[in-house]
Amino acid sequence: MPNKLSWLTLAALAGLSLSACKILPTPSSQSGDGDNSSAFNPDKMVEEIWAPKVIPYLRQKAGPFAEVHALAKTDPAAAGAKYGNPKKQANSPWTFAVRVEGKIVAANTQSRAATIDVDGDGDGNADARVQIGPAMRGTAIRDSLDFVQFNDFTNQIDFAQFGKAFNAHADKTVLSKLPRDGLEGRTAKMLGAYTIEGGQDLPLVTPAEAEIGPKP
Amino acid sequence: MKLTRRMTLAAFAGVLALGTAMPAYAADLIAIITPSHDNPFFKAEAVGAEAKAKELGYDTLVLVHDDDANKQSQLIDTAIGRGAKAIILDNAGADATVAAVQKSKDAGVPSFLIDREINATGVAVAQIVSNNYQGAQLGAQEFVKLMGEKGNYVELVGKESDTNAGIRSKGYHDVIDDYPDLKKVAQQSANWSQTEAYSKMESILQANPDIKGVISGNDTMAMGAYAALAAAGRKDVIVVGFDGSNDVRDSITSGGIKATVLQPAFAQAQMAVEQANEYIKNKKPPEKEKQLMDCVLINGDNAPKLETFALKN
Repeated sequence: MPNKLSWLTLAALAGLSLSACKILPTPSSQSGDGDNSSAFNPDKMVEEIWAPKVIPYLRQKAGPFAEVHALAKTDPAAAGAKYGNPKKQANSPWTFAVRVEGKIVAANTQSRAATIDVDGDGDGNADARVQIGPAMRGTAIRDSLDFVQFNDFTNQIDFAQFGKAFNAHADKTVLSKLPRDGLEGRTAKMLGAYTIEGGQDLPLVTPAEAEIGPKP
Repeated sequence: MKLTRRMTLAAFAGVLALGTAMPAYAADLIAIITPSHDNPFFKAEAVGAEAKAKELGYDTLVLVHDDDANKQSQLIDTAIGRGAKAIILDNAGADATVAAVQKSKDAGVPSFLIDREINATGVAVAQIVSNNYQGAQLGAQEFVKLMGEKGNYVELVGKESDTNAGIRSKGYHDVIDDYPDLKKVAQQSANWSQTEAYSKMESILQANPDIKGVISGNDTMAMGAYAALAAAGRKDVIVVGFDGSNDVRDSITSGGIKATVLQPAFAQAQMAVEQANEYIKNKKPPEKEKQLMDCVLINGDNAPKLETFALKN
């Protein structure tokens, strides 16, 4: 074994020294990069598809949170087929389209990544945590859409900025208009998406539509 | 003396003859080309790819390009010259690599890219890319939480020529810049190097004694920065890395560095070899050329389960 390795290495070295004689073209100056990024405008792209494609897709695909989450825990593949994006990346966790309706039992508006905890089944315990911005985690809305493919983007930076643009759009058009004070006890009605995560925390829903009821 | 030298030469020539004759009777060859194995991350890739290739009955040729695009181009010539059936490549630059991969494609040798992507499609058969941006967002979210959303921090950036250095930095800022009370007092490149990170951290700390956290583009730099902080009696500074190395795992479990982000290097390399095997044997390319693999946050909760760039169940 060590013998074989060493002459493999030598053979490789021989190959190296031979190829070192060749004249190699110098890679041309890297001008493509800048051109690409100036043409790419994720905020505009999201704005253009939001009302005609994103919202109708989520409305049509979403299930009630309790139902989706129960199925996701027992049979993720079945939940994925019904509420998820079947064209997701192979090793990525499922992202599901959901409707969350219930009573706000807790709110964290101290953080810039503000959230509300919603009790959907009326047992007094929170079932889902909903992001209300302005800072938001993850790319759940992007990842829930079966018409968005990484393959269609130049690189992961563009793909990520496209993902963030969905959150920014939701924040600008919906979430920034929500009330921030005295949230506990009010009703909440959301349409959005969440990604299954391994941790102990509540499922984290990113909304695309959101309503918060008046103070009780 | 002279005699010995002559004998060595003769032996060398014999070995060369053997080496060139080998493809006539040996198994099919897969070339595995990565950056330097000095970084355990790239070593794990090479080891993972080699193990899978051997398991599937291939001979392997393991080479390193040291992040030098010219050297990479020569190594690809070597692989073509040796009659490799496929090249598994963690490349040396998103733009500079396109021509090299095109060259191997023209010579009939398909490339399967891992870890880093290139700025072109239709040249490589597969690009299995670590979602560095998503990983950086995870690391930054944990960093923001540990920092309590406020305070002065330092960012250590990787080697400029490596696409992932820029991607991670963008991913970090994508999250951190949403928090106006987090103030970046210094941003410097330590070129992925532990020793460079140590000396840079020493001087940054002298100029900015009031720092609360350091976010680093990879684990080796995080190790260097933490060592410098510890030497200055500043173990209170929050350090977050990226890669998921065993060194940082040990630091996390002993209360040093706070978090890192695991890239599934080993699994990714093996997946690339499986797709190469499918392509060599059945001419079947993967369904999509560009495939993203998610990264996983590592902190005190799951660090004990981390081993050689993979999480045990």
